[in-house]
Formats: sequence, structure tokens, C-alpha cells
Amino acid sequence: MTTLDTGGPPPTALDEPGGQPPPPPGRGDRIRAVVRGIGEVLITAGLVVLLFVVYEVYVTDWVSAGKQRDATQALDNQWKKEDQAPAAPEQQRVERFDGLDEGTGFAKMHIPAFGADYAFTIIEGTTERSLEIGPGHYKGTAYPGEPGNFAVAGHRVGKGAPFNDVDLLDSCDAIVVETRFSWFVYRVLPKKDEVSGWATGKGTDPRCQGVAPLGGPYTGLVGQEIVNPSQGSVIAPIPGHPDDAPSVGERATLMTLTTCHPRFSDRQRLIVHAVMVKQWAKDPTKPGETPPELKETN
Amino acid sequence: MYGWLWRHLPGPVAVRATTAVVLVLAVVALLMFVIFPWVEPKLPFNQVTTTQ
Repeated sequence: MTTLDTGGPPPTALDEPGGQPPPPPGRGDRIRAVVRGIGEVLITAGLVVLLFVVYEVYVTDWVSAGKQRDATQALDNQWKKEDQAPAAPEQQRVERFDGLDEGTGFAKMHIPAFGADYAFTIIEGTTERSLEIGPGHYKGTAYPGEPGNFAVAGHRVGKGAPFNDVDLLDSCDAIVVETRFSWFVYRVLPKKDEVSGWATGKGTDPRCQGVAPLGGPYTGLVGQEIVNPSQGSVIAPIPGHPDDAPSVGERATLMTLTTCHPRFSDRQRLIVHAVMVKQWAKDPTKPGETPPELKETN
Repeated sequence: MYGWLWRHLPGPVAVRATTAVVLVLAVVALLMFVIFPWVEPKLPFNQVTTTQ
């Protein structure tokens, strides 16, 4: 390596600006310069790749944290404004989600199993730009609390990584969705290996009240699955059956999370299905009240 | 490459070193704020949605 490092014009020519002009470079010097140039380019390329990793894992996190904070702030302000100037009388405290613009927040999701501070504002739409702000709602799927499949995509690496640990969600873990007037409690469906012994096994856990393997057209639906990116049917009203169009009355109220799998790859998608078990109406006289499910933080 | 750059930077060593640092930072900023955000969606790392 030392011969390469001392390549190029002889240093004496540089150190003595007023001295003799350097002798014309020989053939060996030229080869040495070319080889060193290639080496430097390769090292530089390696540094750029490393820098990209830093960007993807850390820098996008900072950028997204700011955007998520702004979206949450905007949603809080909107809710507060509507509280101060109630447009509708008490009996009309129903959710309205029509006319949402791409990129606006409309609900918050809490996963107490990921810690009491796990909260993300859900953004309308699943474009790159929306997903940079936070978990994005697939347009055309149900909204929180509605019969059907409330489907949400989120990043697993960088960009706030809201769904970083979604693979660790266990059956019956709560996903609490907060909207303007309500808290909707969804719980992860039984996993594949738990379905058969559910009634006598995990299903006896008091947290699992209301959670059981679904029957009828939903038979075979489990809490976690890994699919190919082309399987868009996982967000259908009946996941896996895109052509079935059940009437609203026949629909179960589901929530589906999608993210990339394995981590750092887009080869597959990790899918989590949950079913709604409870709805708490917000009490306008107790603004800070939270549902008990939010305390399931272990 | 780097040797050539160093030899062509003007001024005494201190000035050259400062210029070099500024150049490095400029390149890093260009990568972070322009090139990486542009190239990132094209790479197969972070696609989280299923096709609809």
C-alpha cells in the first residue's frame, strides 16, 4: 500500500514552488494514480451507502417526527375548535369522515402494549407523502368503528416507524382508536396456532372477552399473516375474499394493519387483523377521560 | 482524486482545511436533502402497502 500512497507527482515539486518543474510522470506513476483514483471512488461510494443507512434509519425519523407533531397539533386544534363551537346538538355526536383530504389526520391510534406513550395520528391516504407523516388509512376502506375493514399502513423502518414492533403484537392486544367523539377498542384476533384451542386456552383470558376465531365468511382469518405485496385482498371487507361484498349488516368491524416484511425489505407484507370489541363514547363533561384499555401496558 | 482536490484548494493549510470541511458538509447536505429523498422511494426497502 505504501507504494500507492506515495504515488502521483513527487512531493518535492509541490514543496518548492519556485524550484525545477517536475519531471514528466512515468508510466508507473500514471498507473498508480489511476489505481488510487479507483480506490478512492470505491471508498467514497461505501461512505455514501453508509450515509444512506443513517438517512433511512435516523434522519427520516426526525423529519417525520416533526410532521407527525404538526398533524397531531392540527387535529387537536380542530377538535378543540369544534368543542368550543358545537355545530350539532348532543344527540348528533356521531363521527363524520366524509370529505377528508389526503394527508390530513382524522384519528389517533394507541397501542398500550407498546407503552403508554405510543400514540400516532392516523393520516388519510397511503401515498409516500402521507405515510411520511404517520400511519395512513387506505382510502375506500371503512373508517374507525364502521362495519367493514379499517385498514392502515405504516412504516416499519425510519419515517417515525410507527409499525416497528407490529410483529410483536399478541392476540387480544388492544389497538385503541380515538376519534372526535369515541374510543374504539380493537383487539388482535387469535393467531394461527391458537385458533384450535382458543375456547379453553388463550380465550379464557379476561382481556380476550369478545375475541374469538370468526366464523362464516371470515373462517380462517387469523391475527397475523405474512403475504405477498400483490395480495391487496387483505384489506377487503372480508380479508382474503375481495369479490365478496357483504351487506353492511353482515360485516364484522375489523381493523387491519399492513407494513413491510421482513424489516428493511419490501419482499413481503406483515398483516395484523383485529376485531372491534368495545366502543366508549367520550363524555363531553370529562374531557381528559381515557378508556381503561389504555392502561394495559405490560 | 482527494489529493488532486487538496492540491488545487487555494490558501494556506488552515484555509484549505476549512474549505475542505465546508465542501464535505455541502456534499453531505446535498445527499441528505436532495438525492436520498429522491432515490429512496425507488429502492426496495420500505414499501408498506399492498396493491389495491
